[in-house]
Amino acid sequence: MISRRDLLKAVPAALAFGATMPRSLLHAAEAAAADHDANVLVVVQLSGGNDGLNTVVPYRDPIYRATRPTLAIAASDILEIDQGLGFHPAARGFADLLEAGRLAIVQGVGYDQPNRSHFESMDIWHTCQRKHDARHTGWLGRYLDTNARETRDAPAIHLGGEQQPLALRAEIVRTPTIRSLDEFHLQGSDGASREMVRDLTGTTRPGGGDLLDFVQSTTTTALDVSERFSASEAARQPAPGYPATSLGQKLGTIARLITSGLGTRVYYVEVDGFDTHAQQAGAHEALLRQVGDAVARFVTSMAEHQLGGRVLVMCFSEFGRRVAENASEGTDHGAAAPMFLAGDSVKPGLIGNHPSLTDLIEGDLKHHTDFRQVYAAILERWLRVPAAPLLHGEYRPIDVLRTGPTA
Amino acid sequence: MPSLDLNTVDSDWAWRPFEPDAQHPWTPALAAHLYRRAGFAPSPAELDAALKSRPGDLVAAMFERSEPVDFEAQMDELGRATSATGDTSKLPAWWCYRLLATPDPLREKATLFWHGHFATSAAKVTDPELMLAHFRILRSHALGDFNALAQQMARDPAMLLWLDSATNRKAHPNENFARELMELFCLGEGNYSETDIRELARCFTGWEVRNKAFRFNRFQHDAGTKSFLGHSGECTGEQGVDVVLAQSACPEFLVRKLIRYYLCDEPQPPDDLIAPLAEQLRDDDLHVANVLRRILSSNLFFSAHSVARQVRSPVDLVVGLLRALDATTNNYRLAEGLERLGQRLFFPPNVKGWDGGRAWINSSTLIARANLIRQLLFAEETRFHKGSLSQLFASSDVNDGAEVIEWLQRRLLAVRLPETVATQLADGIDRGDGDREHRLRTAVHLLATQPEFQLG
Repeated sequence: MISRRDLLKAVPAALAFGATMPRSLLHAAEAAAADHDANVLVVVQLSGGNDGLNTVVPYRDPIYRATRPTLAIAASDILEIDQGLGFHPAARGFADLLEAGRLAIVQGVGYDQPNRSHFESMDIWHTCQRKHDARHTGWLGRYLDTNARETRDAPAIHLGGEQQPLALRAEIVRTPTIRSLDEFHLQGSDGASREMVRDLTGTTRPGGGDLLDFVQSTTTTALDVSERFSASEAARQPAPGYPATSLGQKLGTIARLITSGLGTRVYYVEVDGFDTHAQQAGAHEALLRQVGDAVARFVTSMAEHQLGGRVLVMCFSEFGRRVAENASEGTDHGAAAPMFLAGDSVKPGLIGNHPSLTDLIEGDLKHHTDFRQVYAAILERWLRVPAAPLLHGEYRPIDVLRTGPTA
Repeated sequence: MPSLDLNTVDSDWAWRPFEPDAQHPWTPALAAHLYRRAGFAPSPAELDAALKSRPGDLVAAMFERSEPVDFEAQMDELGRATSATGDTSKLPAWWCYRLLATPDPLREKATLFWHGHFATSAAKVTDPELMLAHFRILRSHALGDFNALAQQMARDPAMLLWLDSATNRKAHPNENFARELMELFCLGEGNYSETDIRELARCFTGWEVRNKAFRFNRFQHDAGTKSFLGHSGECTGEQGVDVVLAQSACPEFLVRKLIRYYLCDEPQPPDDLIAPLAEQLRDDDLHVANVLRRILSSNLFFSAHSVARQVRSPVDLVVGLLRALDATTNNYRLAEGLERLGQRLFFPPNVKGWDGGRAWINSSTLIARANLIRQLLFAEETRFHKGSLSQLFASSDVNDGAEVIEWLQRRLLAVRLPETVATQLADGIDRGDGDREHRLRTAVHLLATQPEFQLG
C-alpha cells in the first residue's frame, strides 16, 4: 500500500491545474489543505439505459407480467425488498447492502420531457441543461471549478478507457482520465529527460489560443499526476477480494487510492452494455451482478477500513427502458428509473414510490423525482456546497443522507 | 490573433476558392495543412512539389487519384487472409497497413469519416467477414452517393447485428435502427419525434439476417400504413430510408459533420455558413464529392478559422507522423497503440462513433500518445525511407539541428513551436548524448510531446 509520505515524496510539483496556475501557488495550497479526511463521491455510470423495471421489480403486479412475457422475473427468484418490490436475483450485492443498511433506492428518477436518445439524455444528466442551452461544463466540473481548487491532489479522477464524461468538464480544473495505473507514466525517460519534457511543454505559449491552452494545461496535469502515481509500485497491485470484473477492479483501485490518503474528492467510473434491445435476459443479469457485487465489495471494504462514513457511491443511468418488451426479447429506450446510493451515510431503503405501470408517457414510466434533486442532496449534504448555482436552478434535495456527515 | 468568431464570416467569401495573392500567399504551411486534412501529412517529396501547383489544382488532383489495381488486389487478398482467421482483432492492423501505404489517402481519410459516422463495432458483430463487407461499402461510397451508402448500410448484415435488428417482427418492432438512422446517420437529434421513430421502425419489420446475409421475411413485414416525417403510406424499409433522406435536415446534418471533420472542431458554424453547402449537397442529390472538394479548396479552409483548429485524432497523429517520415512499422503494434489512444479501428466506442475534438485529449491519452510515438520511433521494425532517420534527412539534404526541426515543423505542425523550444530541440540534435540517429529520434519524440503536436 502507498503511504501518504510515499506519495508526498514523489511530488516535485503536483497538482492538477496545470498551466493555469503558477506552481508556487500550488505549493502553498499543498501546505494549506488537509483534504484527506473530506467526503468522497464515487459515481458509477451505467451506460446504455439500465432497465430499472427488471432491477427493482414490481413482481406482484400483473401488468408487469403481462407486458414482459419473456423477460419478467419469476416471483420465486426475487430478492424481496418491501411493498411488493424486489431485486433481480443477480443484484445480490445490492440486496446485501440494503440488508446492512448501506443502500438507498431512489425510485422514479428522471426529468421533464424525457429525451430517449442515449447521447442527448446523457448530456442532460451530465450538464443539467438541455440541447438549446450552451453546454460547456458538467455539474461536477462546475463543482470542481468553484470548490476544489485548493486541494492538493487531482480533485477528481476518471478511471477508465472511455472518453472523459461531460459531467467532469470544467472551465479551469483538468480532471485526469486514467486508463490504468500501469500505463500511466512517460516511458523510456530518466528523471532528467522527464524534467526536460516538463520544461518544454510548460514553456509559455503567448497568444496560442484556446485549443492550445487546453492541450497545454492537460499535458501539465498528465505529467504531474503521473509522476505522483509512478512513485508508488503498491498502487498498481491488484486489489484483494475485489471481483475480477472491470468495475470490480476499478473500484478496487479507487479503494487503494482512498486508503493511501489521496485527497481526491470525486471518482468517476463507467460500466457500458445496458442498451439491451435484444436478448436482454443474460446480458442484464451479468451486468447487475457485476455492478452489485463490485459496489457491495467496495462499500464493505471502506467500512472495514473505518472509511465507511467518508465514502458515498452514486449509480445512475441515462434513462430506464420501455415497460413493454419488444420482439427481440429486449427492451427499447424508456424514461424514469431508480438511482442507487450506497455508503454508511445513506438513509437505507426505498425512497419514493414505484412509478405506476398504467399511468405512462408514450409507453414509459413517469418520473416523480428530478435527478437534480439527488444531485442537490449530494452537493449540499455530502460535498457541502450550495447546489443551485451548480445545477442552474433550485432543486429540493431529497432526504437520502443522514445529517451530519464529516465535512 | 485574428477573430475566430465564425458568426462574423461572410459566407460568400468563405466558400469561394482560395486564390493566393501577395497578401495571402501560397505557403508550405498552407500546403501542409491541405495534405494533413485531406489525407495524413505530406510525404517528404510531396510538399516541395505542392508549392508548384495552385491550391485548387492540387485538390482536384487528389480527387482524380485512386489506388492502383494491383495495390487494391493486394489489400483485398490481405483482407481475405485476415478474415479467414475468424478473428476480428487482426482487422485494425490490416487497416493500419493500408493507411500507411495507400497512394490515395483522400479516400482512406473519407472512409475513416464514414466509419465514425455509421459507427459499427466488431465487438458486437464478431465476424471479421461481415466487418470487412461493411468496410467495403463505406470505402466504395466514401466520396460518392450518400443515398446509396445509407440504403446499403440499412441492409448491411453487420449494421443489422450491431443495432439488434437481425430479427424484426411486425408484432413488436425494434426501434433501435429507426432511431439511429434519424438521430445519428441522417438528420440529427431534434429533427424527428418519438412517434416518427415508432412508425419508421414498422417499415423495417421483416428485415432479417440469415446465414450472414440480408433477408426480407414478408410474413413478418407490417404492410399497414405508416405516418412519419409528414409522409404517409405503406412504406417498405427502402422507402422509409428514402423519406428520411428527403428531409431538408439531411444535407444540413451531413455538411455540419463534414465541416467538423475536415475544417474545424469548434466553434459550431452558424446556419448561414452551412446553407450554401447544404443547398449544393441537395442539388447534387447527396453526392458528397463536390461539396468536399469545395470545402478543401475554400478561403475558409485556408484561413485561421481552420488551420490548427482541430485536435488531431490518434490516426491523424500517428499515421501522419509515419507518412511524413516515409516510415513503415509493425502494424500490430501501431493498431494496439491506437487503441490505447482511444481509437481502435473497427471498434468504435458506440454507435455515435468517436466524439473527437477535445474529447481525444485527457491525461491518459496524452501520455499514451507520447509513449506510442516513442515506441514506434525506437522499434527495431520501424524503417524510415527504407533505412534510418539519418538517411532520410541526408537524402533530403537536411543537416544541422535547426534545419531538421524546421523540416519537421513545416510538415507536422499547424502552430509553430516557441523559439526557445525549437532551439532546445535543435541543440539536442547537434550536441546531445548518443549517436546521431538516437539524437534524431529523441528530438522527434520530444517534438511529439509538445502541445502543438496535438493540433492539426
